[in-house]
Amino acid sequence: MSTTNGAFEFRATFARLDEGLDILHRSVERLRAATGRESNDLGLLLFETALGEIGSNVLTHGRPTGTEQPVEYRLKFMQGVVEASLTDSGAPVHEHLAREMPGHESEAGRGLAMARSLLDELGYERDGGLNRWRLVKRL
Amino acid sequence: MTLEVQTRQTEGGVTVVAPSGRLDVAGAPALKDAMNKVAQNGPPRVVIDMEGISFVDSTGLGSVIAALKQIRNRQGELRLAAPNQQVRVVLELTTLDKVFPYFATLEEALAGF
Repeated sequence: MSTTNGAFEFRATFARLDEGLDILHRSVERLRAATGRESNDLGLLLFETALGEIGSNVLTHGRPTGTEQPVEYRLKFMQGVVEASLTDSGAPVHEHLAREMPGHESEAGRGLAMARSLLDELGYERDGGLNRWRLVKRL
Repeated sequence: MTLEVQTRQTEGGVTVVAPSGRLDVAGAPALKDAMNKVAQNGPPRVVIDMEGISFVDSTGLGSVIAALKQIRNRQGELRLAAPNQQVRVVLELTTLDKVFPYFATLEEALAGF
């Protein structure tokens, strides 16, 4: 983790679900503290909610069975913009990207639609055998 | 962080389920287990006291929807109490605030239930 002139950067790699989710939330907590934001800062709360959705997708679907390929994670904040990137080695997810919010009875399938609504930009690209996610929000 | 779930019965016969921690993809199975046990005991009136929930994701929300369906199938009723700001944002974003009656406090949720 580094903080310089109001900018903030955090990097981590992780493989296990519990560990990964803990690191994602802890990184946002560190950003909150480093930038002097309140615990109820709405912009950061919306960003953390989107990060939780993409992070859980990456941690549950992004690691092919039988591999220990870790997820690479970076969180940075500069000039009022928070940006996270997550890289995993799971199957491509293009067909899920435009998924709409399902009806009230559905117990699953809301994550990507939620993340799109909560962020200013949700980027995805397939790079060789990797999925690269980019989450951007102006705070 | 694991989700811990405590269950108790009020004198009025309402079951209060109180999860504590993050209700996310890792924590949702614990709530599902607790709700399965609750739903086995007759037509249930259940309040999920969310005061201890620090964060909810779409999978956690799915476990609450599953609980609602399970309880309604048994002619019961489910209320949510004391969701924090993040939980309320997620309920409103998904328009599930139209489906779940939620109350600011546990006392309000139990009143007249």
